[in-house]
Amino acid sequence: MIWVGDVLVSPGEGGVYNERMLGKARVWEPYRSKLSALYHVGKGIDLDPSMRVLYLGAANGTTVSHVADYVEVVYAVEFAPRPMQDLIEVARRRKNVIPIMADANQPDRYTSVVEAVDLVYQDVAQPDQAAIAIRNSIFLRHGGSLILMLKTRSVDVRKKPSDVFDETLAVLSNAGFSVLESVWLAPYHQDHAAIVCTKADG
Amino acid sequence: MQSYWFGDIRDGRCLPFAGDTNAFIHRISSIPDSTEPFTPLDWRQAVDCGVCTDRCDYLSRLQVICIAAAERSVREYYGGKDAELLQMVRTLDEIDTVINLLSERAADWYMVRHPSFSRKYRRVPAHILIRTMREKSRGALGKVAGEIEQLGEMRNTLAKEVSAQANAVMPNTSALIGGLVAARLMATAGGLRPLSRLPASAIQVLGAKTALFAHLRTHTPAPKHGIIFQHRRVHNAPRDIRGRVARVLAGKLAIAARLDYFRGAAVPAFLQSAQEKIDITFEGNRS
Repeated sequence: MIWVGDVLVSPGEGGVYNERMLGKARVWEPYRSKLSALYHVGKGIDLDPSMRVLYLGAANGTTVSHVADYVEVVYAVEFAPRPMQDLIEVARRRKNVIPIMADANQPDRYTSVVEAVDLVYQDVAQPDQAAIAIRNSIFLRHGGSLILMLKTRSVDVRKKPSDVFDETLAVLSNAGFSVLESVWLAPYHQDHAAIVCTKADG
Repeated sequence: MQSYWFGDIRDGRCLPFAGDTNAFIHRISSIPDSTEPFTPLDWRQAVDCGVCTDRCDYLSRLQVICIAAAERSVREYYGGKDAELLQMVRTLDEIDTVINLLSERAADWYMVRHPSFSRKYRRVPAHILIRTMREKSRGALGKVAGEIEQLGEMRNTLAKEVSAQANAVMPNTSALIGGLVAARLMATAGGLRPLSRLPASAIQVLGAKTALFAHLRTHTPAPKHGIIFQHRRVHNAPRDIRGRVARVLAGKLAIAARLDYFRGAAVPAFLQSAQEKIDITFEGNRS
């Protein structure tokens, strides 16, 4: 990851969402992007130019554009039409963003376009986030990793965020993932946690 | 056999797919589930297929197809008749908020200029008050009051359009609860399709999010009604049977929404029996 002092940046064409520039690099705000927050509070997974990434819950393509600055290709899955319009615009300007309008719950709908990837990054506001990650791990190559952004409030508002967190960790390890890192994203994002894991087999 | 966007792989051999972008879009949206264990796509097979020359070529071809497919999906989504109605009704509610905010502010301003003015004990509707303010105020305040009046006129035009559009898009729901309220229900659910998939119990409390979550979190009494409170049969009902009327109405609305989504035309037989059921609940329990 590229740091200028203690500011995380990504190298690429600016002006995607009026982001601040430091020279030719785009500032990657931790308060805006959960992935950037992860790199600020924890280790995360280092992105490198050979990486292929499956990005679930791509939304407006803000974080997608930063990831695309670092890696070879991003398969960006988004279900809602309104953010998809923005995502398409990002894809037009970046050769390595492949937009896919589909439900991350049904990975069989995009098996014909998505290849084996090194990293699955998931940021969806759904109650069954762990299940979605497990279903999409079919795309993960052996030894590949998964970063899951857990919106505990989307899972169950009645439960304590820490309980949701523990339950999700248990579900993931039962499904054969070994957890490398699990951190809360405070102070950047409230009640959000990041879970970094690898598929244990292979 | 494994099928990918660029072709089918059978017994290790590739059968390339040929066609224009539209044909590819159709292909990726209709590839059936394979019965064989899933093998992730390997881009080198596309080169073997002769579809592309190298990695760069592969990605740019795939991107062209995926962008076109995503664009088409967005267009199809907005093509539904409910998509515009949804924006119309949200705009309408937004304008109401703006009018209320501005009126409050303008009244405060007016009271500074006229220290003896008070709204207490005056039975004048807000829009008359705004007109008085416009006529009696010079400069910017008069302009502001004038703009609020204009907004009000625009709001009424829009409300009529929402009603008319709702009658066309969701004839059964509109017949039961009125076009405007029907449109609000649809907008809160996020569209006609999501509304048609909601259980009656959810329709009953649609729009009562705060009360519902307070109930789930801290066990306050459950809300009896959400948006459907705006229907006269609900808000005119005495307190003790209001919940009952709301429940019956919501039950019929759930059926109506399904009819609207799947048939798209008014069903008089259903409407008559539903209306009777609602009236009986309302009248029968009133004594």
